[in-house]
Amino acid sequence: MDVILGITTEKEVIVITSRAAVRGVSILKTDDDKTRVVAPHTLLAYTGEAGDTVQFAEYIQANIQLHEMRNTTELSPPAITSFIRTQLATSLRSRKPYNVNVLVAGFDTATDKPELNWIDYLASRVKVPYAAHGYAAYYTLSLLDRWHRTDLTLAEGLEVADMCIAELKKRLPIDFKGVEIKVVDKDGVRTEKVTE
Amino acid sequence: MDAIVDRFIQRPGFDEDVLAKEEMLDIMAPSSVPTLSLPPISQPSAFLRAHTDDASNPDVRIKIAHGTTTLAFRFQGGIVVAVDSRATAGNWIASQTVKKVIEINPYMLGTMAGGAADCQFWETWLGVQCRIHELREKSRISVAAASKILSNLIYSYKGMGLSMGTMVCGYTKSDPAIFYVDSDGTRLKGDMFCVGSGQTFAYGVLDSGYRWDLTVEEALALGKRSILAATHRDAFSGGSVNLYHVEEKGWTYHGNHNVGKLFWETKAAESSFNNVSTDFTSDD
Amino acid sequence: MSDPSSINGGSIVAMAGKDCVAIACDMRLGMQALTVSNDFPKIFQYNNSFIGLTGLGTDVTTLSEVFRYKVNMYNLREERDIEPETFANLVSTTLYEKRFGPYFVGPVVAGINSKSGKPYICGFDLIGCINFAKDFVVGGTSSHQLFGMCESLWEPDLEPEDLFETISQALMNAQDRDALSGWGGIVYVITKDKIVKRLLKTRQD
Repeated sequence: MDVILGITTEKEVIVITSRAAVRGVSILKTDDDKTRVVAPHTLLAYTGEAGDTVQFAEYIQANIQLHEMRNTTELSPPAITSFIRTQLATSLRSRKPYNVNVLVAGFDTATDKPELNWIDYLASRVKVPYAAHGYAAYYTLSLLDRWHRTDLTLAEGLEVADMCIAELKKRLPIDFKGVEIKVVDKDGVRTEKVTE
Repeated sequence: MDAIVDRFIQRPGFDEDVLAKEEMLDIMAPSSVPTLSLPPISQPSAFLRAHTDDASNPDVRIKIAHGTTTLAFRFQGGIVVAVDSRATAGNWIASQTVKKVIEINPYMLGTMAGGAADCQFWETWLGVQCRIHELREKSRISVAAASKILSNLIYSYKGMGLSMGTMVCGYTKSDPAIFYVDSDGTRLKGDMFCVGSGQTFAYGVLDSGYRWDLTVEEALALGKRSILAATHRDAFSGGSVNLYHVEEKGWTYHGNHNVGKLFWETKAAESSFNNVSTDFTSDD
Repeated sequence: MSDPSSINGGSIVAMAGKDCVAIACDMRLGMQALTVSNDFPKIFQYNNSFIGLTGLGTDVTTLSEVFRYKVNMYNLREERDIEPETFANLVSTTLYEKRFGPYFVGPVVAGINSKSGKPYICGFDLIGCINFAKDFVVGGTSSHQLFGMCESLWEPDLEPEDLFETISQALMNAQDRDALSGWGGIVYVITKDKIVKRLLKTRQD
């Protein structure tokens, strides 16, 4: 099971994704990146059915970029989130729905606030201070309920992230081969840390 | 074939071949096992599965109470046992005041997850067995032996639809011990267990705050906080937290803490649960 | 448990009083047993009409956007606000458009007619059958519990403040007996010239 985790701090969003790509009984890849930068200040992290995930993420990425080129303006994270949700909702009632769960991490340059949105494959969308998909949610949400504060600094946020990763390492039955930790803030998206 | 099975044979319409297939109860001494009647049909376990909710068949009318968070852990000062108190049947909250810790005797506790009736019945029965052991052997039964009696009994009913996940907690002489026993027949000795639908949430908080040298006060607070975390996130856990501390001299009860009040107190004290708004002033 | 209308959970209740109506919802969005968010309001306002949408979370959002679009179009064409009765018919036809692949929702409409000043409340099934009521309507995973609460608490001609107390107690006590509803609540009390929105501090388990 993939680990997809998002935590907002006072000035940024931290996005944590596992590095293992698992198919059947084998781990095929140990440096997989489960995110796409869809706009300068918006990162899309995804998990779900093999094939659907990357196809969907890149479809979103391409369309947001096209929109940006046509209108020479960057879409805000709420706008991008709304677009993604609509696409998933339309897909849900199509012949072959995308089976993809996503987190949309963004920094809204208009309001100067970080923003995290949780969307599942049914296209249920909520804005949340912290979120996770899959089994990771069952272990980390209670930890985040306990330790998260809205005024976290980046360093404190990363500390909370480390607690979550330690817990997942301890309790998840499958090795997820470390994580990529990315940060979305006013300067855009950057990789903060990669662990084994 | 032992006496219990003989009793079943006398039931009208009961097929002898099937009995041979579902033969059981040769582990315990016959006199110690109560008589449980079986439906007069060829496959009692299949009948039960068809009419009560089971992992394989959730769409039935009879829903046995499920959904729980229970935990127990060992530390420097003994054992802390904490449980929630919600019973659900489907999405219906059947009770918010269930006692999920079964006081087997003054020095041993059992926790309850899964089928409420199964746990209640067999852990009370375990209390009887422990007392019989005490009278026969003139010494307290060890936690290992007690949990083994329970485990063996449950195992003898394997496949018949019993549903239990329990922790037997107590002292053997001066040694605190926790045994996890479930209806698959698993029996594990360990330092920390969380059982039930909210187990993962409890594990999260428990792991992050656990140390062997916790004081008694800290340990009780951690147990309570871990259950609170689970009641918040797991729809099928809630109600109140029941807290116990087990020491060499026996267990002590540390109160019933209603989540309705406990949540807001904890949130204020820790400035945690940031997903929950406290701004109730909005009036537009 | 793969029933679409009880994956995410949630409840709605609306009540009529003396020259006022009230509509209330819970705040939970879950995935089966897991509570994902405590900030998922299910009541939406269009002019002086209110709609509460329970059921599948995705359809709650989708429909709220569809209604926003349709009411805006109505406003542009008619150059006036939509009345609750008209809005109820709009909801009904919108739902029936998807007769053979429905939105999994249980909507409830409440409002006060701006001309006559009469309270209006009604509920729907998932394909748009209007259920008009003079007293109260309910929807969502705790609808059974809500029926019980409303039957025992509601009385005719309640004043706005009493209606608020009645609907709040009905909602809170109903959701306390439903595993999939709760985690907060919102109540709107609507009179001809005033809308009061209140958040309820409820149990969080």
